[in-house]
Amino acid sequence: MITIDKLCYHSKLRYENAGEKFAFAVITLCICVMSRSIAVACIVLAVTGILAVWKGGIPVSRYLRFLTVPLAFLFLSTIAIMFNIKKVPLDLFAIPVGNWYITASTDSFFYALQLILTALAAVSCLYFLSFTTPMPDILEVLRKLHCPGLLIELMLLIYRFIFILLDTASAISTSQNCRLGNKDYRTSLKSFGLLGSVLMIRAITRSNKLYDAMEARCYDGRIRVLSENQPPRKKIIAAIAVFDTALFIFAIWRKFFS
Amino acid sequence: MSKRSKLEKRILALAAAFALTFGIVPNVSAMHIMEGYLPGGFCIAWGVLCLPFLIAGFLSIKKTLNEHRNLITLLAMSGAFVFVISSLKIPSITGSCSHMTGTGLGAILFGPSAVSILGLIVLLFQAILLGHGGLTTIGANTFSMAIAGPFVTYGIYTLCKKVGVNKRVGIFLAASLGDLFTYCVTAFQMAPAHHAESTIGGAFVKFLAVFAPTQVPLAIIEGIITVLIVMGLETYAKPELRAIGFIKEAK
Repeated sequence: MITIDKLCYHSKLRYENAGEKFAFAVITLCICVMSRSIAVACIVLAVTGILAVWKGGIPVSRYLRFLTVPLAFLFLSTIAIMFNIKKVPLDLFAIPVGNWYITASTDSFFYALQLILTALAAVSCLYFLSFTTPMPDILEVLRKLHCPGLLIELMLLIYRFIFILLDTASAISTSQNCRLGNKDYRTSLKSFGLLGSVLMIRAITRSNKLYDAMEARCYDGRIRVLSENQPPRKKIIAAIAVFDTALFIFAIWRKFFS
Repeated sequence: MSKRSKLEKRILALAAAFALTFGIVPNVSAMHIMEGYLPGGFCIAWGVLCLPFLIAGFLSIKKTLNEHRNLITLLAMSGAFVFVISSLKIPSITGSCSHMTGTGLGAILFGPSAVSILGLIVLLFQAILLGHGGLTTIGANTFSMAIAGPFVTYGIYTLCKKVGVNKRVGIFLAASLGDLFTYCVTAFQMAPAHHAESTIGGAFVKFLAVFAPTQVPLAIIEGIITVLIVMGLETYAKPELRAIGFIKEAK
């Protein structure tokens, strides 16, 4: 159903300490976003890609396909950044349209290139986290970072309910398909509306039953889950620290001294 | 002969480029700003701007839950509902695969302050589980999709109810205008961050223009679907609606 969720439970890095993975992904992400340089972005893209695919055992084709998820957004916004409509042509190229030019400059080309690479590198950091760490582990890290308990509990419940509702939704849409519920556009809109409302009704009934069940098992406002604790390993922490410090120094050097 | 084959090659290349662009574009989701697209300063600024709304939402949820603890499962189900609705493919005319925002529907059903917190959680899940949006841009996305959009939707919805406009028209207007407002806010968030060679205003107009072909039809479809869902609920689920209205009153 949710491919990323399935993949991360199969990952070879699943049983590493979640805090290590979280720290690595987030710190690298921050350095990458703050530095905004092509070289840093390429390094980050390579390192996180290699870690997720080679160490984590994610199939390469899957990984590449996921990198194309935000491509539509990237494509459209790059058009908006690069192309200008002006009366005077700029230096990269210019296509005359009447009295005006659709034109771009070399500077904006490099700016767009840098932006695309930075964004892709940032996405690969995010994917490193989501391809190796299941959601409950991330929530455990957030709990240790003193995120409010109510928020964590809501997240835990929502995470569980997502799968219940997706199951229901897929069953409903299968039966709609069987009964020609998508035979033309009008019908499919109507079917989707019905699916949404039935889903909501089911969700409310389900949630009432679930609360009764929790109450019967002495629910007092906190859900206690036994967390599997993988102790952090010194070698990995040292490796992460060395890598991120080196990357940080490199980013600063690229920014101010070159 | 050689000239002709050159021409053919060029046509083939053009066709391939076309196929590639249109093959990529169809995956239109609601307009999440991609991970890493905003510079650090902007990420922090939008995040800080969200904080008062999130704190207000958090406190109101906390107060409601202290009074009626059994509402927590309902609240969580609502969050999951918004996530699932936004992750399902909606029927679209061109055969492309598009998704709705879902927060507009959430605002109409559960009220805007609950949606701000639920929206934050949903956006975090969308980033980690689906790759839509991102961790650094979560502040900006929360502001546009979980705060600005839902507040406009809710405002228009209550206004229409007071003025006495037909209910269906009111819901349609509320959902689609909320969606359009989200899209304008997103363009506005991107413009000051990236305006090479033009003014901020110019960049804003460019972002609006580029995303309009995907976002405007999406807003209209979202409006229609929201009307259908709410109508379906009113027909089949009066008692359940009262249960949700309970949340709204208790705040």
